[in-house]
Amino acid sequence: MPLRAILQHDLWGLYQSRMVRVWLAATALLAALLMMTNWVKVPSAPLIAIVLFPYLVFPWFLVVMMLGVNPTSGSRADAMADGFLCRPVTRYECLLGTWLARLVLVWGVYLVVAVPAAAIIVFAKRPVPDDGVTFYGVIAAMGVVGLVLALQVSLGFLMGTLLRRSLLAVAVLLLAWYPLNLVLHAFSLEEFSPISLSQSLPTLLRQPWQEDPAAETAKVGDLEAMQKTIEWISSFGAPSKPPAKPGFFEQAEYEDFSLLSVLMGYGIPTLLSIALATVCFNVRDF
Amino acid sequence: MTAAIRTEHLTKIYGNRLIAVNDMNLTVPEGAIFGLLGPNGAGKTTTLRLLLGLQRPTAGRAEVFGRPSGPNAVAVRRLIGYLPTHPNLPGNLRPVEYLDLLGKLCRLPREERKPRIASLLRAVGLLGLTDQRIENLSTGETTRLGIAASLVADPPLLIWDEPTAGLDPAARRFTLDLIREMGKSRTVVVATHILGDIDHICDHVGVVHEGQMIFCGPVRDMKRRLRRDDFSLELEGNGDDLRRLADQAGQVEGIAVRIQDERTLTVEVCDGRPRASALAELLQLVEPNHLTLQAVHSGQNETENAYLQLLQEDEAHGFQRFDFQTQRKVVAAEGNPPA
Repeated sequence: MPLRAILQHDLWGLYQSRMVRVWLAATALLAALLMMTNWVKVPSAPLIAIVLFPYLVFPWFLVVMMLGVNPTSGSRADAMADGFLCRPVTRYECLLGTWLARLVLVWGVYLVVAVPAAAIIVFAKRPVPDDGVTFYGVIAAMGVVGLVLALQVSLGFLMGTLLRRSLLAVAVLLLAWYPLNLVLHAFSLEEFSPISLSQSLPTLLRQPWQEDPAAETAKVGDLEAMQKTIEWISSFGAPSKPPAKPGFFEQAEYEDFSLLSVLMGYGIPTLLSIALATVCFNVRDF
Repeated sequence: MTAAIRTEHLTKIYGNRLIAVNDMNLTVPEGAIFGLLGPNGAGKTTTLRLLLGLQRPTAGRAEVFGRPSGPNAVAVRRLIGYLPTHPNLPGNLRPVEYLDLLGKLCRLPREERKPRIASLLRAVGLLGLTDQRIENLSTGETTRLGIAASLVADPPLLIWDEPTAGLDPAARRFTLDLIREMGKSRTVVVATHILGDIDHICDHVGVVHEGQMIFCGPVRDMKRRLRRDDFSLELEGNGDDLRRLADQAGQVEGIAVRIQDERTLTVEVCDGRPRASALAELLQLVEPNHLTLQAVHSGQNETENAYLQLLQEDEAHGFQRFDFQTQRKVVAAEGNPPA
């Protein structure tokens, strides 16, 4: 009962907070803007990736981390001590309740905006060719982004518990997160870098539930042959043009995308962050 | 005598820099109204937070009704109703919602929780404010809500940290009356630096100074330690007559006199001089100086004086205490009984 009570109380408090309401409105507005500006020129998979990009990289990363940092640092930690920890509640229940509340809220805000956006993109008739987005791909992409959000909340929680000062924790997260993200992106590690993950999302969005390896090889072979033919025809009698630079969401290097590796790449650090935050929270004085 | 609270060599040192609680041995008898007295920064709040398990002791142990306290000692905290100094309550909730939340945290079933919340709000006089958000309540009302919160689980031990801090006289009186009422059926620990509160309500007292317990026992024992060598005369007359009386009294052997205000003369009787004869000699001077005796007070502010005396003694004999403790520990380590 205490865990549920803390979860409900925190969730209600977060829902009532101005920051969360403004964030919800801003996510909806940004998603709408991104969809409208790319409506007639970007195929479905990259467009969904564009809509999901703010959750993975910028700017919602900041909001999510701040939400994670908040309850275990600064005056909110004192309030937690006076409100919950001096009652017959274990520290585990308290930490889990506040973490879950933030996770549910972040996922709620994300899904409320991202699910309708993805549905509109997939089902609406648009003047762009169908690029084979699958139902499984949409669900998997949504899940992966949700997992990254869980990691962000957990990292915020860990830093808030370790450093105890909200501003310091946010500053450290910012200074560590982006450089690390960029380094990992340089190696195209979608398992660890949300920037690379956002680039690989179109690949995931087009993945079917179960692939037929033979059909896939044939398909790739056909595509390659067709591409070569087109290139030969187009270059016949014309001056040679430099190859077109691929867009941010049209990278070919994520064709070997593995959902399992990505889930483990973000899932294990999430679990480690929570475990470490629990240990720190348990030995901490209030 | 059963102990509601017992600490043994309880010590809390913050980061090897600040000694907040220093080898504290404290026993609070069950059913007592215990005043934890000490100046600001003496370690009262830290001691209470160690009992609640909000902090971990550097050394020593703390027990509540025989159960060791700790960060996850739910069973201990179920026995305690805690009121922090300035309760940091969730401002977005209404009193009923807040108490309901605490009832859930205390695992109270709904059919028990709801009637208790209503009766508690009535008891602390907040029944008319149930539609207000907590952030709109005054300091006194917030404290009263904090008091109700500490009573939600009907615990046998109440720990209230400076419950009268920031209250107006009426709210202070209400709180003190409530503590006295609660003390009839529970053990109550009140941490304060307001000596008047202790005088009004407590039967046992612990005096903390620089993290150490320098006195622990019944209030009457603390007062008994006080040297009763002073009294005051309340007189009616003009100021010149009072000053003349003070001059004459100053010439009486073994008496030191001081004019406290326009109507009061404070008299200190020196060691060796019987108080009764000194008082008789002084009273003989009153009427010749055209003054009228209104009252004779002795032992006023006893608690305050006893408390200040304890602090002075502690500061004066700090090294002796240190030597004694060192000696005791060495003897205990060697296995020899102390001489």
